[in-house]
Amino acid sequence: MNAAPGLDFASIPERIQSEVQRAIQRSIKGVEYFSTSGPSLGSTPKDVLHSRGTMSLYHYRPMSDEIYRVPVLIVMATTNRGYILDLVPGQSFIEFLLKRGYDVYMLDWSAPRPEEKSLRMEDYVLDFIPDCVRRVQADSGEQDVSVIGYCFGGVLSLLYGAIHKDGPMKNLICFTTPIDFREMKLFSNFSDRRYFDVDHLVDSVGNVPPEMILSSFEMLRPASRTVSQIQLWENIWNDEFVKSYRMFDRWATDTLPLAGEYFRAITKDLMWDNKLFNDTMSVGGRPAKLDNIKVPILHAVAEHDHIVPYEAAKHLIAKIGSADKEEVMLKGGHVSLVAGANAVKRLWPKLDSWLGKRST
Amino acid sequence: MTDKTNDPVAMWQKMVGEMEKGFNSFANQAMSSPEFSQAMNRAGGVAAGAQKQLGELMEKYLVSMNLPSREQVTGLAERLQAIEGQIGEIKSLLSQMAASAGVSQGADSALRPPRTKRPPSEGGEQA
Repeated sequence: MNAAPGLDFASIPERIQSEVQRAIQRSIKGVEYFSTSGPSLGSTPKDVLHSRGTMSLYHYRPMSDEIYRVPVLIVMATTNRGYILDLVPGQSFIEFLLKRGYDVYMLDWSAPRPEEKSLRMEDYVLDFIPDCVRRVQADSGEQDVSVIGYCFGGVLSLLYGAIHKDGPMKNLICFTTPIDFREMKLFSNFSDRRYFDVDHLVDSVGNVPPEMILSSFEMLRPASRTVSQIQLWENIWNDEFVKSYRMFDRWATDTLPLAGEYFRAITKDLMWDNKLFNDTMSVGGRPAKLDNIKVPILHAVAEHDHIVPYEAAKHLIAKIGSADKEEVMLKGGHVSLVAGANAVKRLWPKLDSWLGKRST
Repeated sequence: MTDKTNDPVAMWQKMVGEMEKGFNSFANQAMSSPEFSQAMNRAGGVAAGAQKQLGELMEKYLVSMNLPSREQVTGLAERLQAIEGQIGEIKSLLSQMAASAGVSQGADSALRPPRTKRPPSEGGEQA
């Protein structure tokens, strides 16, 4: 019988020895895994400029001797916590921006309280974001503000920009921002208006529980959680892998509830009527057409985004009224586009080169 | 060095990866059907209804035990929130007054770097 081509018998003892060592390491590290907590996340020094219910505005302390004139306000998605953009030193987008000379603020969210179930889209677009922009202006002493929105934070930033067309937003950067909600196929099917009684849900539970939000994300790739646990066990001897797994796993499962009325508006206006894409969206009676946005805009999308597929995001740039607009597609998924080792090499330098020359 | 095509560990990893893709793709197809949406939302609607009824029962129980109801606690929370908001506004006004009077507001504001940075290509700095 012939040996299979490529099979190197001489390496087998070495391979067995390596696997035995890894098995021992797995047992030791496995005990360590359960007896220790993960790395400390979101630890870049910052001050809380303002806090009101579900909303918090942070200012990060500068890490550069000289900063750009225009401050940057990051608007986080309302379903997740902002520390995805501030993981650990060396893998923190915030730290990267600070070291590159930006003055960075973040509008982050905490779980809405039961009494905040009545928060509407109007509260987010016409109150929270403008309030934060005013505070950034007052704190920095600058009138211009660049806005970066991640995922649904991008949708809120677009709505803000489309309504406040006279400023003071100077530049807009959207990461993986959907506008055509019909193309979010599974979410669209989950919320099919024939079967999904959003009024009954919101009237029953008040704020939409985080378990429901998390389940709907996990249902997009139902096998992936189990497989990631298998991969964790295989790689538990590898400290870097474990550190990365713990950071992302903690963030992914740290989902926020959504304010009931806000969720009702998202479902009816965006999921059912696709108003943003159809140019019929309004917030508090104020039209929010995307071609009202005339400021420079960069939209970064991920090639393998399973949460916001490219089809849901691809029309954004075409619909924006700016002359200075660019879409960039980078390798990665919905999260790895903005955080982790790949983002350090791909998105962050691209963003820096785009935003730096528009921040003076 | 072992060839990846014959490495049992690499083969196992590849198999797990393929199974993940296959299962996700199969599940996505199944979840795209209107029947799935109908069944999922029927179950979700029942769960939400049950949660609402349980909440109402619990409220009645708390009243009978002479404990504050959820509505009362929520009312208190709303008042606290309003007070927090007012404190925030007062702090903000104080900061503005201090700034206009030229009073330093701690080490942070005193140490802010100048807003004079130029992008690397303009200033000749290396990226």
